[in-house]
Amino acid sequence: MRAAAWVAVGGLALAGAGATLLAGANPLEAAGALLRGALGGPQQIAETLVQTASLLFPALAVGFALRGGLFNIGADGQAVAGGLVAGLIGAAWPGAGGFALVAALAGGTLAGGAWGALAGVLRARFGGSEVIATLMLNVLAGLLATYLLSGPLRAPGATGPETAALPESVWLPLLMPGTRLSVALPLALALAAALQIVLRRTIYGFELRAAGLAPETARRAGIDLGAIAFSALSLSGAMAGLGGATIVTGVLHRFDPALSPGYGFIGIAVALVGGLEPARIALSAFGFAILQSGSLTLQAFAHVPKDVIVLLEGLAIVALAGRRAFVARATLPP
Amino acid sequence: MNEALAGLASFATLALIKAAPIAFAALGGVLCERSGVVDVALEGQLAAGAFTAVVVSAASGNPLLGLAAGIAAGALLGYALGLAATRFGADQIVAGIGLNVFALGACAFGLVLVFGREGTSDEVHALGNRGEAALILAGFGCAAALHALFYASPWGLRVRACAENPAAVRDAGLDPGRMRRLACTAGGALAGLGGVFLALAELDLYSDGMTAGRGFIALAAVIFGGWTPLGAAAASLVFGALSALQFGLQRSGIPSEAMQALPYLAALAALAGWTGRARAPQADGVPEERRFD
Repeated sequence: MRAAAWVAVGGLALAGAGATLLAGANPLEAAGALLRGALGGPQQIAETLVQTASLLFPALAVGFALRGGLFNIGADGQAVAGGLVAGLIGAAWPGAGGFALVAALAGGTLAGGAWGALAGVLRARFGGSEVIATLMLNVLAGLLATYLLSGPLRAPGATGPETAALPESVWLPLLMPGTRLSVALPLALALAAALQIVLRRTIYGFELRAAGLAPETARRAGIDLGAIAFSALSLSGAMAGLGGATIVTGVLHRFDPALSPGYGFIGIAVALVGGLEPARIALSAFGFAILQSGSLTLQAFAHVPKDVIVLLEGLAIVALAGRRAFVARATLPP
Repeated sequence: MNEALAGLASFATLALIKAAPIAFAALGGVLCERSGVVDVALEGQLAAGAFTAVVVSAASGNPLLGLAAGIAAGALLGYALGLAATRFGADQIVAGIGLNVFALGACAFGLVLVFGREGTSDEVHALGNRGEAALILAGFGCAAALHALFYASPWGLRVRACAENPAAVRDAGLDPGRMRRLACTAGGALAGLGGVFLALAELDLYSDGMTAGRGFIALAAVIFGGWTPLGAAAASLVFGALSALQFGLQRSGIPSEAMQALPYLAALAALAGWTGRARAPQADGVPEERRFD
């Protein structure tokens, strides 16, 4: 397994080098540009940490559900649902300050949870595949947000499907003035720590892991697989929804349907690299964030199209698919 | 009267044009899923087919070469999915998502390399109206052929058995892994053809995001069509008609998002069992070396 991991990393590095050569750049210079862009100074590191937080929420969401043998590939849609509600709440009460911020985050969490719960009901009550359900709900979240913001809830003077800009009183407090680094990161890390405890030290965490590792055994031991599926997908959606809410209140300061550009899918890779362990997922999110935030300097200074990072992340996900971290999933009885 | 007829004809044409890429991808999805491999990579196969077709047509000046290359690109991605799902025993969903991300990233990357700018390619030699009509007819042909293959040929029976009980297929002396790889490759080729239709028949260029979730609509058509070729083709026609209807209803006050949402809602309803018999093959998504009992 170790050897396979090194082969995968080596293969990805070769693919990256090949792609850079194809773009007419020197791979070493390109790697240098990427690292400078991600870690070259306080400003760059802050931006990488912003990306870390944005990736960590969906990654924790995916990882948590997967521990229960459930595949949530709808973190993007749940982030949109959460971000939309957070944006609407934040824009609605400009004078309420801290209260509005907390309400926005809570509303976003609930909305994401509700979006995840839809897939949970389908799985628990009707035995429908949560994979397909969350995939469909991704698109539906985007359509619903676009409809609401271009129709009934259109912000005055808006040109696109966006909420009005949020007043500064509902922005997440900054950790580093002059950057976009906000308390979203400590919030995400606290969530990771909480999940670590829930998974290792609580009865619910035990039941969830049992359902993921050996569904049939868990069922015979009296664990209600339907209840696990519903609760795990709802909680997973809530985490992704909170992530969307932090992007709206901490990064964009308004709602935009494109707030989660594939974070949900990359989150799968982040969660798998982290071995589905919350603490290690946090480290893995930082690694992927380096790629994300370095991709812009890669394009600007080494003239390698930034999508090479997307290409490599795709290959990484394919390579990770070979890891049998979730063999029990397919046999979860309907 | 004539005006109404003309309106109907133009609506039907538009519906067919909108349905064709979805139908090709959905048929590819049916082929792949009925061999036991969950195909969430349709979106990537569409994009790869579209992009490769445009690049080859631009390079050679011959849209037919582009067509062939687009099909080949889809087939290659399909083969990669099949290989990951069988030989490497990879999780099919993760592999499919990864291939989607990879294909969309590679197309965006390649676009900058080949055409020197982000977003949209140059306009290239396309297949024209006659090519478009021929491909639409071919779509109907593919649906009928796949139906015949599935239900009237030994090969079809074997492929379907791979999705129901791969262990029994192995016991019968066949290699379910090989059958799955073959079905995935052929399915990818069909989805690639759908991408070719988008890029060289409906339009004459590639642009980032042009597949616009059609791969997921196709997946919805697979499910809504009950994992059958004719069902998926019919569902694609319905979804194509809905898409064409959006243009007609723009001023009627019905939000276009509601029409766009219908395919996905239909798939969710089918998943919930509200439309009757929509159930995935028993061993769909189950690695073949594991006993299913």
